[in-house]
Amino acid sequence: MTQEIDLEVKGLQFYYNGDNHALRDITLPIYKNRVTALIGPSGCGKTTLLRCFNRMHDLYPRHRYEGSISFEGRNILSDKEDLIRLRSRIGMVFQKPTPFPMSIAENIAYGLRLKGIRNRTELAGRIEQALKHAALWNEVRDKLNNSAYDLSGGQQQRLVIARALAVEPEVLLFDEPTSALDPISTGKIEELVSVLKQDVTIIIVTHNMQQAARVSDMTGFMYLGELVEFGTTEKIFTAPDKKQTDDYITGRFG
Amino acid sequence: MTREQTRKIENYIALSLSGLAALAGLFWLVFILGDVLVHGLGALTPDLFLKDAVPAGMTGGGLRHAFVGQLLVTLAATLIGVPLGVLGGTFLAEYARGTHFARVISILADIMVSVPSIVIGAFAYAILVRPLHHFSGWAGAVALAIIMIPVVLRTTEDMLTLVPWTIREAAFALGAPYYKVIIQVVYRGAATGILTGVILSIARVAGETAPLLFTSFNNAFFSTDMNGPLASLTVSIFQYAMGPYDDWHRQAWAASFVITLFILGLTIAGRALLKWRYKK
Repeated sequence: MTQEIDLEVKGLQFYYNGDNHALRDITLPIYKNRVTALIGPSGCGKTTLLRCFNRMHDLYPRHRYEGSISFEGRNILSDKEDLIRLRSRIGMVFQKPTPFPMSIAENIAYGLRLKGIRNRTELAGRIEQALKHAALWNEVRDKLNNSAYDLSGGQQQRLVIARALAVEPEVLLFDEPTSALDPISTGKIEELVSVLKQDVTIIIVTHNMQQAARVSDMTGFMYLGELVEFGTTEKIFTAPDKKQTDDYITGRFG
Repeated sequence: MTREQTRKIENYIALSLSGLAALAGLFWLVFILGDVLVHGLGALTPDLFLKDAVPAGMTGGGLRHAFVGQLLVTLAATLIGVPLGVLGGTFLAEYARGTHFARVISILADIMVSVPSIVIGAFAYAILVRPLHHFSGWAGAVALAIIMIPVVLRTTEDMLTLVPWTIREAAFALGAPYYKVIIQVVYRGAATGILTGVILSIARVAGETAPLLFTSFNNAFFSTDMNGPLASLTVSIFQYAMGPYDDWHRQAWAASFVITLFILGLTIAGRALLKWRYKK
């Protein structure tokens, strides 16, 4: 299987608070237009790894990266990396829906305005496009000026995905995007993830192994800050090389 | 007597005592408000708002000069105090969040809230009146602003802290710089709360007399000059109530009524706004 690599993680070490070694020597490729799932028990470092891709850790003091993540020909862990630009190229969707305290339309417009788009007609067009892309348009087309808080949790999560898509990122990071949602909303988000990979590269952290099996092409199993095994989802879930992976997949621990 | 009966009696006694205490407190509140209402309403005339003071001892005239002076000083205090308070609160809740420094400032602000206002009046007198050798509206405005700042600062800090951190992370994740996250997202979420704090802080200073005695002092004539002594309702009430003339007493009652109504209105508006916000 020959595939283009979008992000390449090499020898990544990450420390919280100076000496808390949270990620140990992580190396893995993230393939373009594929869904990569990160699974593992709580505290294994999968969210920590996800937050390295958009340098979210930089919001907090006393963190340290070692190693490299190559993206568009440069190491994004470098001190010279322009984080504002990086985050507009690599978007993120969080565990709990995070609509901003404004209307549905303004939520989408927020990222666009950050990119310098001010033209009203263009904004309206891009808002519609993003909402359609996130399969939310039909539900909200008549109430674009209502508060985003009026939407249900599942709709809010799709609104947040639309907001992230509107700035046309290359990569989307999902941090357990359905753990706060009911099964029907979860199904819609999963469907959406499968469709979106045509346009963006997706990395998804999930606690739900069935979800990883359903939506992802590649899966990485992490444990205690290490990437134990990485391979195609099919292989990880049917014939893993490592016993630890097999034990976790079959529910013997974790 | 069984234990159950004793308990019932004890309960009854405790209930009666606390009920009586509440009634005693309420009685004085209603008494004061009722007294101000009865005396003030009767003395309320259009002249009070439309005419300036007449020479002492003559009947007639009004308190237009005091209303205008009060309005000017309060407005200037708001313009000085609110931006400083909001920016300070923003610094504590955002840039200095969780630091030792922020906690110390917060506690100091809490202490400032309960500093007697006459102390603040004396302070403004020492820095703005004595060195310049004259009373001024500005000195009064600064004294009131100093009282407002800790109130606005603490409310702003609390309201910003209430905005979930994940909302900020989401804005950062879209590539927003911190100042845009604060101005465009966090302030939006906290706007009603901050506005409530501002309204309540205006209500807090609108009834102050002590800080104005030393600073804007008083003026028997109509003036809009913030560089000179300026009349205010509260100081006029003080002067008129102490004075020997019936007409002065009448006007003091009317002015008390108006200012009480104003503060009551502001406070109710502030509380209503807060309630409305949390219902959402």
